[in-house]
Amino acid sequence: MKRSAAEILREYGPFPGADHVHGVTYDGQHVWFASGDKLNAFDPDDGTPRASIGVEAHAGTAFDGQYLFQIAEDRIQKIDPKTGHVLKTIPAPGGGGDSGLAWAEGTLWVGQYRDRKIHQVDPQTGEILRTIDSDRFVTGVTWVDGELWHATWEGDESDLRRIDPKTGEVLESLEMPVGAGISGLEADSGDRFFCGGGNTGKVRTVRRPKRGASAVEGSK
Amino acid sequence: MDSMITAAGRALAAGDPIGALKRVALRDDPFALALRGIAMAQLGELARAKSLLREAARDFGPEQAVPRARCIIAEAEIALASRDLSWPPKALLAARRTLEAHGDHVNVAHARTLHSRRLLLIGRLDEAEQSLADFDATPLPPALRAAHELVVAGIAMRRLRTKTARGALARAEKAARQADITALMTAVQRAARTLDTPAARMIAGGKDRLISLAEVEALLASEMLVIDACRHLVRQAGRHISLATRPVLFALARALGEAWPNDVSRSRLLALAFKAKHTDESHRARLRVDIGRLRTELQDMADVRATTKGFALVPHQPCEVGVLAPPFEEGHGSLLAMLSDGEAWSSSSLAIALGTSPRTVQRALGELARTGRVQSFGRGRAQRWLTPAPPGFPTILLLPGPLPSD
Repeated sequence: MKRSAAEILREYGPFPGADHVHGVTYDGQHVWFASGDKLNAFDPDDGTPRASIGVEAHAGTAFDGQYLFQIAEDRIQKIDPKTGHVLKTIPAPGGGGDSGLAWAEGTLWVGQYRDRKIHQVDPQTGEILRTIDSDRFVTGVTWVDGELWHATWEGDESDLRRIDPKTGEVLESLEMPVGAGISGLEADSGDRFFCGGGNTGKVRTVRRPKRGASAVEGSK
Repeated sequence: MDSMITAAGRALAAGDPIGALKRVALRDDPFALALRGIAMAQLGELARAKSLLREAARDFGPEQAVPRARCIIAEAEIALASRDLSWPPKALLAARRTLEAHGDHVNVAHARTLHSRRLLLIGRLDEAEQSLADFDATPLPPALRAAHELVVAGIAMRRLRTKTARGALARAEKAARQADITALMTAVQRAARTLDTPAARMIAGGKDRLISLAEVEALLASEMLVIDACRHLVRQAGRHISLATRPVLFALARALGEAWPNDVSRSRLLALAFKAKHTDESHRARLRVDIGRLRTELQDMADVRATTKGFALVPHQPCEVGVLAPPFEEGHGSLLAMLSDGEAWSSSSLAIALGTSPRTVQRALGELARTGRVQSFGRGRAQRWLTPAPPGFPTILLLPGPLPSD
């Protein structure tokens, strides 16, 4: 496994009326984050707050290209970002022990905090298709360029990990500085990770390492 | 942090312990245990709350230092609210150090306030004052600011500094309003009321009347020679002579003070000081010795002069003389004063607070219970004592959140 220190590029927030960040996603234009009783959008270029949707938002957040997915208690809500309506609800695989949420390849990926697991879930039914084990408490989950990344946060230690989605083996780890725990994770198509900062109410961007030529060939 | 823990934590913060329990009642990971403990505390189930928080702290272990320390602080606060003074103050200090190291300033301040409240409750005023020195409450959330000001007011009231107490209570009230916590506002109002209720009795010139704390303060600052039956002192203009360990001498001084400017007959002094019904020559000899002793003790302030009938107190300077007594007088005044905070005490906690043996306290409680002055519930180690109509000393729970996301 390759270890390095995470490079924090920028910090956003805390935003007024949203002092916690439980989940983060990116719709290509705005960053959305869950703050307990609402989803909040802001523009990552200038950091200005945009829309907000009043919906229960206790853990991970994801975006499938059209709709937002948001964990609340023991269920996953599918939300239309244009109207703010909850279109559908499916059971969350951890029964309330769920933390991170990502959308990739037509399925949902759900981090289960204390059980140190990541489940692949059918977004129509909530059925668990597959489970990957981790050795750490899983917070955020994201897929980017065919790579599965997840965040961990245990005590004072927090890192970003790239894992082999088949075996769960940790391939790379970016260690966050003390006091900068990650409570939610998303990536853009460039070189940025968006990381929820839990009780700080901040969203931090961390540089995503570029793959070396051989690594790109190897993974694609 | 997972979804259900977040949801339960939010329910607790919104004052909905039932909603929180609904979400985590069947879970026993440490975060759930901590939330269940705090919900139980909010519902008044303090014993269950303590054991849940203790379990949570144990399960967090040393790796999860911050939530573990917060559980310990919450447990300390519950112990204090339920007047369990046997709870180890060292554990609170250790938890505070941990949070200091992790930069959790709000809960560090909370732990400091709890430490001061404990010292105030057991009457260690100097240490309580020291613990508040260089404490800046300004950056704290309003609820913790109010709790801090209540301690400041409590110390000032015990120190008979009513102006300081009123100032602190005014700040506490403002902060409690900002915090918008009803229990806290009630606690402040109750503390403010005790400032205006009678704090003592003044017996002087044949009159016996109830006086407020402010009047006590004014009295002790005046030139009056005060025989203080609350603390067994003889005081004048900031100076005092302690007769706390000389009960016979104090009884004589008090009798002379109550009669001033008149004298007190020998037979009355004998009856008061030695409980002697019939007096003989040996009693008279003993009285002469003790009057001599009292004369020596009081020589800086007053003389004890023989009269034809008995003895009279004569201050060196021309001034009034009076006796300051507790508002209600009967046996075991200090015990009743502790219980008058309206909380349920264990006899061992009362013994720690009063600095006497548990056996002495148990005996006294037994006597008071027979006359209906105190009540008890529970059995054995769980037995607790309280007064039937408690006037009240503030008891508030401002438990720290156990979650790292708090």
